[in-house]
Amino acid sequence: MVASPSVRSVLASHHPVGASTGCFTSLRGDWPGLVTAAHEVSSYAAELAALQAREFEGLLAFLELEPTLPFNDLSVHAPTKGLRGPDHLRTLLERLPLGIETIVVHPDTLGDGDELAALGSRLIVENMDGRKAFGQTADDLADVFARLPDAGFCFDIAHAWSIDPTMALAGELIDRFASRLREVHLSSLSADGRHIGLTDEHAALFAPLLRRCVDVPWILEAPVSQS
Amino acid sequence: MDPRSSRFAELTSGGGLAALAARSGEPLPQLMEARRRSLLARDDAAAKLAALDRQDDVSVVVMGSWGRLELTSGSDHDFVVLVGGSPRIAVSPTPEQVGEVLNKAPSRSGAFDDVAYVDHLVTRIGRRADDNDNLTRRMLLVLESMAIAGGEAHEAARRAVIETYVDTRVKDYRPPRFLLNDLQRYWRTICVDFEGKQRDRRSKDKWALRAAKLRTSRKLLFASGLLPVLECHDLTAEEMRIWLGETFAAPPVDRIADAFLRHEAYDAGVRTLVAYDRFLGHLDDEGFRDELRSLTRGDEDRSAAWVEARRLGRQIEEGLLALLFDRDALARLVRQYGVF
Repeated sequence: MVASPSVRSVLASHHPVGASTGCFTSLRGDWPGLVTAAHEVSSYAAELAALQAREFEGLLAFLELEPTLPFNDLSVHAPTKGLRGPDHLRTLLERLPLGIETIVVHPDTLGDGDELAALGSRLIVENMDGRKAFGQTADDLADVFARLPDAGFCFDIAHAWSIDPTMALAGELIDRFASRLREVHLSSLSADGRHIGLTDEHAALFAPLLRRCVDVPWILEAPVSQS
Repeated sequence: MDPRSSRFAELTSGGGLAALAARSGEPLPQLMEARRRSLLARDDAAAKLAALDRQDDVSVVVMGSWGRLELTSGSDHDFVVLVGGSPRIAVSPTPEQVGEVLNKAPSRSGAFDDVAYVDHLVTRIGRRADDNDNLTRRMLLVLESMAIAGGEAHEAARRAVIETYVDTRVKDYRPPRFLLNDLQRYWRTICVDFEGKQRDRRSKDKWALRAAKLRTSRKLLFASGLLPVLECHDLTAEEMRIWLGETFAAPPVDRIADAFLRHEAYDAGVRTLVAYDRFLGHLDDEGFRDELRSLTRGDEDRSAAWVEARRLGRQIEEGLLALLFDRDALARLVRQYGVF
């Protein structure tokens, strides 16, 4: 991952930074390979991302082997596709080893109930981009946190930008959920909403808010060399 | 002198903790409740101890969670009968009398529940005579002590120790090295002693509870000493004496909260103290404590209590590291003084 000077400046100012395994598309499904690739980026933080329910089964099988996971901060991104409702999601997440202390979930996968409340503080809820019907605004997330009072907040800064390029929404999210913040997702977005490497423009635009998040892991959701 | 009258005037208003809570809108209920509980227990103990004979230069000082104003239902009542001079034959009150008032039999092992002499704290510096108990008492007197009897004698002892650290050799605008070294020595001693206890079969059973406290309360205590000492860089030697005397009179979490506020690291400060607030809430839960007490090494990842304690400990550490390394003024001080 080779970054431009301004992107490097933003990333170098922070510790810990790590990669989502979603960055390494060519290794998809090869969990030992994905862990190695993430470790080459950083041993401080990583996110094991399995967004398809079937893919998540592979991750569970890998974790059952009790592999060495050489990261200080480790999170698992819960599946967002191929789910048969919140109960299915809960069933999958309950199979994660207890040692996985941070599980990123999308608010639109949680349903209206409190099925996942038993996962308590292990859950962190991510704000959504404009393609989702729910979970973009501070009020949406407040509704989720009312049902999951112990859950933390995963701040996807590019998602917030996609809803409000002035960054006012991003600021509101940090203002309202500062005490819950546990992880930042860092990238830019393509025109069709895909995560791409952080651009110079976004590095500058995001910097003031990122300075309010210096004590939590920043997870790169795309290789920065693409910027 | 009533121990409530001087040193703790600030505490009822909450100091830095209350200021951070007000700024963030986070009520920090566990920390506030622990403080209220600690002050009530102090008042209760002070009233009972008032019936005992007490020599003028003797104070009864609580340390540990009570001294930090973080008393929970599972807290020990660690105390020292502190004598403002050198060893003497008869000390009043005796540790036995104090233990009776506090419903605690003096353990006579380790640094607590015994008589301590200020002369030892200020003259036994380094080398063999400055043993683990002496170091522990000296540091905790500065960092987390509260008088439940003999407030004036306690205050005089506290000042005497601070003046030992900040003596005539201390230079203006240079953090006092002896205090800094002793602080770091104390923190590393706790960490190494923790390892020693893991290797001692007799004390293996509580390793998870000890580890959880090491990662939270004790780490915060160390930082609450480190931050004011580093900030002596901006002061003359005379100002350092006043500053350290005043700031170390406040509870550790107030010093931490004040540092986050002073350096405008509000968000990290809120997250750090919310994490600690949550940990204190867990510590007040007997089931949580029992789960940690019963854990054997190697089974920790099967314990929800341990995973939560570990997570909160990491959150506290990352908040403190962000304060120390992501604020330019402090980062320069850590670089200059924190390693060598």
